[in-house]
Order: sequence, then C-alpha cells, then structure tokens
Amino acid sequence: MKVGLFVPCYIDAFYPRVGIATLELLERLGQQVDYPLGQTCCGQPMANSGCNSDAAAAEALFVRNFERFDAIVMPSGSCAHHVRDHFDAIPQTDAVRHVRTHTYELVEFLHDVLQVGDFPWAEFPHTVGLHNSCGTLRALRTASMSELGEPPFSKPMGLLSKVRGIRFATPARPDECCGFGGTFSVAEEAVSARMGLDKVRDHHDAGAEYIVSADSSCIMHQQGCAERAGIPLRFIHIAEILNGARE
Amino acid sequence: MTARDTILDALRRNRPDPGSHPLPPPATLGDLDAGRERFVASLRLLGGDVMERAAGEPLAAAIARHFPAARMICAAVPGVDGAIPVQDLPDARAADPVDVAVVRAAFGIAETGSIFLSEAQLHLNALAHLAQHLVVLLDPAQLTANLHTAYRRPEFRTARYGVLMSGPSATADIQGVLIRGAQGVRSLSVCFDPS
Amino acid sequence: MKDKRIDHAGAAAAFIADAPHLAFHDERLWDMRQKRDAQMHLLPEWQELRTLASQIKEHALANLPEYLEQFEENATRNGIRVHWARDGAEHNRIVAEILQARGATTLIKSKSMVTEECDMRPYLAARGITVTETDLGERIQQLDDQLPSHIVVPAVHKLTGDVARVFATHYGTDPKADDPRQLAEAQRQAARPVILHADAGMTGANFAVAETGTFVVCTNEGNADLSATVPGVHIATLGIERLVPRLSDLGVFVRLLSRSALGSPITQYTTHFRGPQDGGEMHVILVDNGRSARLGMADFWTSLKCIRCGACMNTCPVYRRSGGLSYGAVYSGPIGAIIDPTFNERKYSTLPFASTLNGSCTNVCPVRINIHDQLYKWRRVLVDHHQMPFVKREIMHMAGKLMGQPRLYRAAISGTETALGTLPRFALYNWLNPWGRHRELPHPVKETFHAWYRRNRSAPGAADTEKTKTDPTKTGRTKDTGQ
Repeated sequence: MKVGLFVPCYIDAFYPRVGIATLELLERLGQQVDYPLGQTCCGQPMANSGCNSDAAAAEALFVRNFERFDAIVMPSGSCAHHVRDHFDAIPQTDAVRHVRTHTYELVEFLHDVLQVGDFPWAEFPHTVGLHNSCGTLRALRTASMSELGEPPFSKPMGLLSKVRGIRFATPARPDECCGFGGTFSVAEEAVSARMGLDKVRDHHDAGAEYIVSADSSCIMHQQGCAERAGIPLRFIHIAEILNGARE
Repeated sequence: MTARDTILDALRRNRPDPGSHPLPPPATLGDLDAGRERFVASLRLLGGDVMERAAGEPLAAAIARHFPAARMICAAVPGVDGAIPVQDLPDARAADPVDVAVVRAAFGIAETGSIFLSEAQLHLNALAHLAQHLVVLLDPAQLTANLHTAYRRPEFRTARYGVLMSGPSATADIQGVLIRGAQGVRSLSVCFDPS
Repeated sequence: MKDKRIDHAGAAAAFIADAPHLAFHDERLWDMRQKRDAQMHLLPEWQELRTLASQIKEHALANLPEYLEQFEENATRNGIRVHWARDGAEHNRIVAEILQARGATTLIKSKSMVTEECDMRPYLAARGITVTETDLGERIQQLDDQLPSHIVVPAVHKLTGDVARVFATHYGTDPKADDPRQLAEAQRQAARPVILHADAGMTGANFAVAETGTFVVCTNEGNADLSATVPGVHIATLGIERLVPRLSDLGVFVRLLSRSALGSPITQYTTHFRGPQDGGEMHVILVDNGRSARLGMADFWTSLKCIRCGACMNTCPVYRRSGGLSYGAVYSGPIGAIIDPTFNERKYSTLPFASTLNGSCTNVCPVRINIHDQLYKWRRVLVDHHQMPFVKREIMHMAGKLMGQPRLYRAAISGTETALGTLPRFALYNWLNPWGRHRELPHPVKETFHAWYRRNRSAPGAADTEKTKTDPTKTGRTKDTGQ
C-alpha cells in the first residue's frame, strides 16, 4: 500500500513534531510513506467560510498531489472531514472521487485500516484528558457521541489504552466543542477564547496533566487559552504518544 | 387572489416531491405498562400527589383533611358533601375564588402521569385552571400505557377542549428555580376511585 | 444598506464580560441538555422516534396544501373561524379586526413565536389594545422591552436580581426581594386580575392536526389554558408548518417535545383545542410569513420541520456563551441562524458564522434537522449573494489563490523557514490581533515540517526533493502542480 502523507498547514508551521511523529509512526508500522512536497492545504479554511470557489485551487492541487496513493493519511480530523464530506469546489472526476474515498484521519487509519494491535515502543506515564475534535467525533465518528446515547466506543481511546503507563482523566463535558472553529476563532474571538478556557479548565479540574488530541488546530487554540490563563496543562498530539514520546 | 389561495398556490409551486416523502404508519413504541405504579411514579416526578383515602372515608372528609384551610370547594362530580356544584357557577370568573376543584378524569397515562379533562368532565373549562388546587378522581381501569396508546382514545375526537394535565402548574423561568403553582393550580392530587 | 448587520461577536463579547450572568446561563442550559440526555437514555426507542418525527414532518410539508385544506375544513366544521395571513402585517390586521369588531381592548396571550415574528404587540398597542403576556418569562421580557432570548425559557439570560428590578419598576415590589418564589407569586397575583377581566385571549400552537381540525398548545404554567378558557374569545396564531396529518402523530411529537426541551417527560399542560367552548368563539390564523418561500429552498426547507423545542440552543456551546439576545432576532441559536436569513439576508448574514460547525445541534434535534450542514450551506449562499464583508471576502480570495500555488505559498509562510513564528502572511494583519486578545500565540519553531522532511528524507524521492529546492512547484511525481 502506497501511503501519501498530508501535513496540514498548522502542523507544518507550528507543530512540525506532529508531522514527524506521524511519519515515523507509519514507518514503524511498516508503511511505505511519501510526503509530496508540493502540498499546501486541503481547501477547508476557504470552504468553511463559505468561499467555496476560493477552495478550488487548493482542492485541485491536493488531488494532483495525492491521486496516485492508495491511502492518504493526515493527523487532522477536520481536514479529513473536509476532503471526505465537502471538497466539491472542483468537478468530481474519478481522481477526485478516488482521493475523497481514500482519505483517512490518522486514528481511523491506525484503528480501521491497519488495525494496529499494540505499540510496544510507547509508554506515557501521565494522566491525559482526551479531546475529540468535533471533526473526528461528529463527522468522522471515531468515538460515540453523547447526544445520541449510542453504545460507548472510542477509537482514539482504544489506541491510547495500548500505551504503557497512561492514565485517563474524564472531563465533565467530554464532547463539548473547544471553540476553535477555523476562522470562528478570530471572527468570534471572545466566544472562541471563552470556550477554550472552559475546555482546558474542565480537563485540568478532572486531573489531566496533558490534553491529547488528534487535531492540532484544537490544541493550538487550547494551548493559547491555557497559557494565557496560567493553567498548567501540556498539550500533545496522539501521534506523538503512539510514536513513543515520553513527555 | 385571496391570502388563502396565494399561500396554497405558493406551497404547491415550492413543495418538495410528495412521492419522495411517504407517511410512516402510526407507531406504538416503548413501554406498554399501563399499571398504577408506573402512573404514580410519573405523576410524582411532575409534582403531582396521590390523595389516599382511609377505608370508607367520604371524599369530602379526605379533601378537608388534605386542604384544611380551604373555604370554597367546587365539584364537577356528584357526592362531595358541602361542595358547590360546578353547574352553579354562572361563568368562568365565578371560578376564581375556588380553593379546591374536584373533577373526574376521563383517563390517565402511565408514561407521563397525565390525566385527561375535557368539557365533558369539567362543564366549565376554566375551573381546572382558576382553582387553587385540583383533586382528580381517576378510575385505575382507565389508565393507558403511553402517549401512543392515549391518542387512540375516542375523547380526542369528540372534546372541543381537552387537556392532559401532568402535575400542577410549574415554571422555572426565574433563574432556573422550579416553582410549582405558577399561574394555574398550585397542586394536583389524584385520588384513585373506580367509577 | 438599509439593514445593519447584526454584530453577534460584539454582543457576545459584552455578554461574556459579565461573569455571573455568563456562568449561570451556561450552567442552566447545560443542565437542560443533561436532563434531555437522561430522558433519552430512558427511552430505547428515542432514535426511532426522531426518525418518525422527521418523516412525518417531511411528509406533511410535502403535502402541506392538502393538509391545510383538510385542517381548515375540519376546524370550520367544528365551529372554528379560520383566517389566512400572507405576512405579519396581514396577521396583525386580522387580529385587530377581530378584536375591534367585538369592542375588545384587552388581550391576554401565551407564548407565540409567530406573533413575535409579526411584531404584533406594537401594532395592537397603537390601536388602543393592551396586550399582556401571561407566560412568566415572556412577561418579564415584555416588561423589560426585550425580545425573548430563548424560545422555551425567554428570560434565561436574567438572574433573580434582574427580575426583581423589572418587577419593582412595573409591579411596585421591593427591588431587593429577589427570592424566585416571591417573584413568581408576584406575577401570579399581578396576572390574575388581568386574566379575569381580559376581553380576549390568544395562544400560539405547537401542532395542528389535519385529520381532526385540532390544534395543540404545550405549556408548563397553564397560562395558555387560562388565556383560552377565561375570556370568551380565543384567537390562535400558528405558522402553516405546524400541521401534522393524524392524531396518532401527536404521540410521536409530544413524547419528543418536552423531553428535548426541558428534559421532562411532558409539559405540565398539553391542551387540545378542537372547537370553541360553550358560548365562546375561536379563531385560527394560519400564517405564512416567508414559510411557503422557504419550502422552495432545496437546502433549507427542512428547517420547517422545527418544533421549537430549543434543544439546539441548550446544547450549543456558542449560544450558551453568547446569550440569545446577541442574535438580534426573534429566533436565536442554531435554529435561528438558519431561519433568520430567510427573513432578511443582509441583517442576519453574520449568524451562520456564529458557529463552530461542531454539529451537536444536529444530534439533539428531535426532528433530525441537519442544522450544522445548513449553517455551512448558508455561508456559501451568503458569500454568493455578496453578504460577506469585503475585507474578509478578499482575505479568503487571496488565501485561496495562495493555497493553489505551492511556490508562492512556501515563500509566503517562510520569509525564513528557519525562524517561522507567524501564521501565513495573508492572515497576519487580520488574524493575530483578535487571536491574541485572550490567547497566547503558538510557539515559534525552528523549521517547518516541510523543511525537516527535505533535510531528513531523501529516498525514494531524492531527485524530486532536489528539484524542489529550485522549483517547489514541480514537486510531485504527478504532472503539473498548479502554476
């Protein structure tokens, strides 16, 4: 299987270690991974703002970069959600359909496609609060949603629980959005920052040392809120823990 | 064109294809327990009470015991000693001073603890709302399981005014504090009484 | 330019600045959401009920002309006088005519969102008719001259002290007496004489049944029953989308409504009006006011399924932290954000952006309206209709162009790839200030992932990587990369 790695703009620019961990983890698991250097963005920021026609160039480029892969993997739920569920600024050719149906968020790929049984190299002796981004939770459905009362399941928790030494803190409102929301984070900065503050407080009050998430955009926002408020939380992407990060 | 025709015309032009939206058959879902215990639990959840009567105790005596301060009792049922028959009230306003109204429900719903009252039971619809307290006689044989089964009752096709009351009037409009007896009756007590 | 855009973000910021109100508002509505969840867990058939409710509503909307005619025929046969109103103005005129023909000058009413839509109270007041809201929350809002901030709990943004102040001004109660029980009792005592002497009563309706000509009103305070049964005239205003085909359908909707709204199994009063009481008269006004047009909007017509439970507001993390009044509209919260633009695209053009698109609203909706999908689609419509502010639109346009051109993109984000501490340049001026108001910026890193990859991974794409250094646009092994 030829795996194409997409590293979203926030991760590329602010969290390169997340991209590195994703790449290394996939390689450890025996995958042949390539990172097309001509990549930029999946088009989500423009499309989510209603400016769908402005997403066309990014979407077309994305397809050209990734159409030759059997699987396109990204450490970002919201980007995977965009490619899979929106991504209609360009004509829906065979190549576009291929890309859209072969795009995976990292946790999905590990859990559903590779069905990874254990991470013998991983040990994380800390208490973590898991933040499911709304993209992974309600769009990609990698965990059960509290609003539906469905039988509990969580793919990220399933993976993390295979890590030695890890402990989990359960916040009071585990499914509550953290308030990032793309351009919402600046257009509605007061609400966004307040949601972020409430989110990090909830995790901190539950005893979390770290917030772990499959979405770096949520982390970037929450980290900014926690640091401003002086809440001693640390932030880590799930790829880093599964790849063996110790802190 | 009249407003009616304008609206209907616009709806006919704009509606989605009716063929793509069939009507599902009537549903009867959920718990079909029509028992008294379920009814009482539901009634209490919504703030209603059960008025117990000692063996052989006349209804009027039980009411007097429950509402010692009540001065004006008005009954829409026969056999409540000392009560004013609702038929004697000339209009709705005359029900305002009523402390306790005594009525008989047509049926009750176990799922929600609701009782059904219509003009057939009330004679004066406002009685059930202007009175301070409501005592509801209910034949336990007239319990139905849930709202699906309730809507099969014939009363919904005959009553011009039909209310499902589920406990007393309530509000939580001021800082979320639940207050019973907001605008309508301050209490609702069900007294099981085979008819 | 006739309608100013609602400044939701600004109003929300002001709401958030008031810590006690914000804390209560968020906790109260979250508590309602949790009570709703508890009810859901008690009913294994919950999801099936939602599906049925959705199917029944979609069927009713697709057959609305026939069901309205059926309703009218049955209601008329039962002695109800049925009126039709194309818009709010026509509705208000009908109400005034009914009242004036009977010499009525006082009207008591229970909650009706449609009358808020029609802005009825000022119209009647100008004609010498005194309108008194009888729902406690609605009355508080009327006295305080504010719109309801929530469709089920209209004064949920107020604390007891606020209510005490309003009542002190209007009822002469002690402004320091802020016990909710006393305040509620004050309302009861103030309302009762008004109810007893009103010339006419008015209600809305939650459902109307075509099969029987019945309309159903759900309340907790019993104020609708008082409004309808004490005066001799009862006028009910209802949006034409309230129709359901059969009595049996009520079983589905009544089971969902209060559980979704407040987390109680049923409202204290569920009242079925099928005809006037002895000696009284009953009018029903069927109001369109934009609904027939909305039915023709392929992406948005299902918003007409809404049963006004407010569950989407209770679960919405944005609504809970911004307050209903910040939406500047009759309908607030997620459902408001997808309905309001149908009334006035420009004025309400900001509302579909007052969302993180998290999707919780869609999950709690008892009639399965895809609310967050509609928010997403509204954004497109509003941009296509030139309702996005110019600067924001230009930023997105520039961003879109940049993202299609890898070489320019790389240049833009990395005047220095080694000391990268900024967001992409296109966003710099407009993004960083609001971002940093309540948040720290992300930490600078030594190099981007892109640069790291080029340094650390060569095979099997060595040649490509080499090429990239000189011309990143020729990167991929796929043909052209978009120059």
